[in-house]
Amino acid sequence: MFKSVQDVIEQLGEQGYICDKKIATVVFLAQQLGKPVLVEGPAGVGKTELAKVVSKALGRNMIRLQCYEGLDEAKALYEWEYSKQLLYTQILKDKVAETLAGTQTLAEAAERVGAQDSVFFSSRFIVPRPLMQAITSEKPALLLVDEVDKSDPEFEAFLLEVLSDFQITIPEIGTIVARTQPLVFLTSNDAREMSDALKRRCLHLWIDYPSEELEIRILDRKVPNIDKRLAEEVVQLMNRIRALDLKKTPSISETLDWARALLALNADELEDQIVSDTLNVILKYEGDVEKAQNELSKLIKKKTAEQAAEKPQVAPTPEATAKKGILH
Amino acid sequence: MQKKVVAFTNLLRKSGIRVSVAEGIDAFNALDELSLDDREIFRDGLRAAMVKRGDDIAAYDELFELFWSGFYDNLRQAFDQMEGDLGGAGIDLDQLLKQLAEMMKEMDGNLDLSELAKALLTQDLSQLENMIRQAAEEAGTGRIENMLQVGFFSRRTAEQLGLEGASQELENLVERMRAMGMGDAQIQQMQELMRKLMETVRRTVRNFTERELQQQNHNYMEKFRREMLTEKSFYHLTEDEIARMREVVSRLAQRIKNILSIRKKRLKRGKLDLHQTLRRNMARGGIPFEVVYKTRRKDRPKLVILCDVSSSVANVSRFMLQFMYSLQEAFTKIRCYVFVAELGEVTSVFQDKDISTAIEKALDGGDVINVYTRSNFGYAFHEFWKNHLATIDKKTTVMILGDARNNYNDAKAWCIRDIQNKAKNLVWLNPESPSAWGFGDSVMDRYMPYCDIVEECRNLRQLSRVVDQIIL
Repeated sequence: MFKSVQDVIEQLGEQGYICDKKIATVVFLAQQLGKPVLVEGPAGVGKTELAKVVSKALGRNMIRLQCYEGLDEAKALYEWEYSKQLLYTQILKDKVAETLAGTQTLAEAAERVGAQDSVFFSSRFIVPRPLMQAITSEKPALLLVDEVDKSDPEFEAFLLEVLSDFQITIPEIGTIVARTQPLVFLTSNDAREMSDALKRRCLHLWIDYPSEELEIRILDRKVPNIDKRLAEEVVQLMNRIRALDLKKTPSISETLDWARALLALNADELEDQIVSDTLNVILKYEGDVEKAQNELSKLIKKKTAEQAAEKPQVAPTPEATAKKGILH
Repeated sequence: MQKKVVAFTNLLRKSGIRVSVAEGIDAFNALDELSLDDREIFRDGLRAAMVKRGDDIAAYDELFELFWSGFYDNLRQAFDQMEGDLGGAGIDLDQLLKQLAEMMKEMDGNLDLSELAKALLTQDLSQLENMIRQAAEEAGTGRIENMLQVGFFSRRTAEQLGLEGASQELENLVERMRAMGMGDAQIQQMQELMRKLMETVRRTVRNFTERELQQQNHNYMEKFRREMLTEKSFYHLTEDEIARMREVVSRLAQRIKNILSIRKKRLKRGKLDLHQTLRRNMARGGIPFEVVYKTRRKDRPKLVILCDVSSSVANVSRFMLQFMYSLQEAFTKIRCYVFVAELGEVTSVFQDKDISTAIEKALDGGDVINVYTRSNFGYAFHEFWKNHLATIDKKTTVMILGDARNNYNDAKAWCIRDIQNKAKNLVWLNPESPSAWGFGDSVMDRYMPYCDIVEECRNLRQLSRVVDQIIL
């Protein structure tokens, strides 16, 4: 259990997830109010990660439902195990005959069979899918409905019952009410706007690109042996790249990948050459890479100028950098 | 507090952010759980409960600042300024107030001051804030609509506040002090203080009214403008509006895409697919527990766009292109040609560049045609007929956008007839109103018989309606 907003920040920090007050407030509220959280934001800012670390911090079992187009009730809620039912009928054939012994008419026989149909439509023959698992779990679980925007609008409809009342209605059996209330996270990349009915039932969290200072801390935490100076440079350049008009703006996960790539290449400073060589780690479209490449000289130059001003004895001049680049 | 949250909720609603009653209740519940000392937590807590759209967050933050920060700070500022002014005149406010308090203690029994006067003399700002808020509510300041009413509502608020009465009381107080034998110099200082107090209150009341106006008006205008944008003629867009229009267009395109995905689903209920059903039910001994239907697939149309990019219709072309390319998934293939008199294909531009640069490039002729000539529709259509007619087949929708102002050239309507014969259908979008078709150098009437759909397309609403017709 989280005790306060501050506590959330600390506990998630222990799990290696550095968050600001905005995120912590919503997580705390979700726990206190027992409401689902709809997490939105650009790809790669740590939406799914948030759910994972919360489940770790709270010691809850995480049940994940990955949404995709065509996801239906049978895959999300529950499914009748037809083959098992069939098998049982085969095995129990004699028993059925026994039950029917002594019946005179067809109607009477049907009546007897009918009296027994609860045997075949019982929870024994149900395969619980993630949504049902989450609410029938013995210990309180954490349900992650990932990329809910990828699912069809119909899917939202039966999500609603689960989210607002934490119950599932199965026509043959009745309504199954949650034994324990799961903490629910829904993530969305905004590919499609969710319906108002769904939004109304959720708390809303918008995770944006982190501030420079926060990103440096994240980088420090996730890539432990990175040089502090390099981390700062990476984050600063990253922010400048984000300011460009790109098709896919790089996010935190790209920053981390990039930092790791730079480490692997033993780079201790961002130079023109190495940046332009590794640009495809952070940019995923040819057009974007081209655009960034064009702007790169400007971006880097700005930085070398700053550097030169700060510590002229160490910083190489642009010419030297260029020469070094050629030698490589 | 509750009242204030409700007022804030109403303000959000008025500004076009949808907040349901249930969400309002959530907000209250959220506040119970949070410590209210931290302003950020307070703001984020309320937001999580009430604002559910990324687009609305900016507006929410602005409104939050406007509503919650406050008026108290303004009040504080005004009084600090007053202190500064008095200090400039060589009067020490603190000392003066202390003196006043002592004098008042002496007169204790027969002193009868109004709440307002008391609050002023003890500098109790939070009390003063409450009083001003209440007075403003009674004066109906919430109904304020424009700048011209600021004076009126300020006056009414001041009346409700009992400002005149308080002013009188303060003057009387000074008189009594004089009677008690206070020195002339000090009396003068006192008078100065009272005058300043009154002035400051008046100013803050006015300030409050102005804030109220801002709150009422905020986003009201924005929303109004957005509504207007869909109605506004493409001919009269400013640079700024074009930029905002882009967003509106992409949002509209997104909405149509959503509708499309639903419709595709509906089509799935067709005939029984025996093959698939048997396969799927192998595990159950071939007994068809799970039935599979054949999906009927709706043909996605191919689209060929012929776009007039002469300056007179450039804006319409811009948004239509953006619209069509935002909806790319709805078509199997889009080919795009631009013309003024010459005709050139710009499909490749759209493949290489991102959409906004591609559109700008296409409007500029895409390096293939000269855009600085006089429109000649007949020539352009003839070119198309000669060189590109093969791109059209039975699944193709041809979309022509232009005002059909042909500068008295040969219309060559038979080209259009041949194109229509080959295509699935032919749509003509004309940014001029139907009453002008066929007049002057317009040859719209000549082309019209060969078009399946002819629509006036002068603003976004009309454009989206046409798009709807084509793809659904």
